[in-house]
Amino acid sequence: METKWHFCHPLPVVERMASAVQVEIRQQPFSPWAELEQWGGDAAADAVFLGRVRGQTMDGQTLQALELEHYAGLCEQCIKTSAQTLLSEYEADAALVLHRVGRLLPGEVIVLVAVHADRRGAALNCCAALLEDLKHGAPFWKREWCDGQGTWLASNTPR
Amino acid sequence: MIDVLQVLLFASLRDRAGWSVRQMPLTARTNTAGELWAELQLGSLLAINIAVNQQLVGPERVLCNGDEVAFLPPFTGG
Repeated sequence: METKWHFCHPLPVVERMASAVQVEIRQQPFSPWAELEQWGGDAAADAVFLGRVRGQTMDGQTLQALELEHYAGLCEQCIKTSAQTLLSEYEADAALVLHRVGRLLPGEVIVLVAVHADRRGAALNCCAALLEDLKHGAPFWKREWCDGQGTWLASNTPR
Repeated sequence: MIDVLQVLLFASLRDRAGWSVRQMPLTARTNTAGELWAELQLGSLLAINIAVNQQLVGPERVLCNGDEVAFLPPFTGG
């Protein structure tokens, strides 16, 4: 299937890139700072993106909760493939992606994306590209809960 | 012994259909993923992704006995 995203293409994978990618889908809340501490590393440049649940729905109402669903197996594989491709493309060294599923409250962390590299440009650009790939090419779905009613989102939030 | 497919629906598609997993027979009318989608009568295939055995494929993908076929509404993660 033709797509501009980097997911699930049968590209050859450099073994070093495979071992440099950590992807986990979590049912429970996590502390991004503790996770980053544990991930460690001594690269010259680290880029980190944290995404949190907004307090409003897409149409501006007060959000009670955000439900996240994924297709287990394919989802993790898509993110790993994307990360391996992008690390190679940007000459970055390692990537960490943690993503929540289940029922989240406003303010909770949905996603953590982090990249180690030798240069700030590689780290920042690779982190941004990986986040965009993840948002558009990995099988996750959000449902906003408001006044006891759930609404599946039909598209992603604006950049 | 008839050939069967395992069909998965997610999120809004699951709610629209009222089921998430279903065994369906592999017949002359469901030779490809696109034909299987038409058989489900869940509307347009536009913007729907298809995965067979956990790999994204196009609607022309030919189906085989035992395949897991998932229909995926537009992704909204991150």
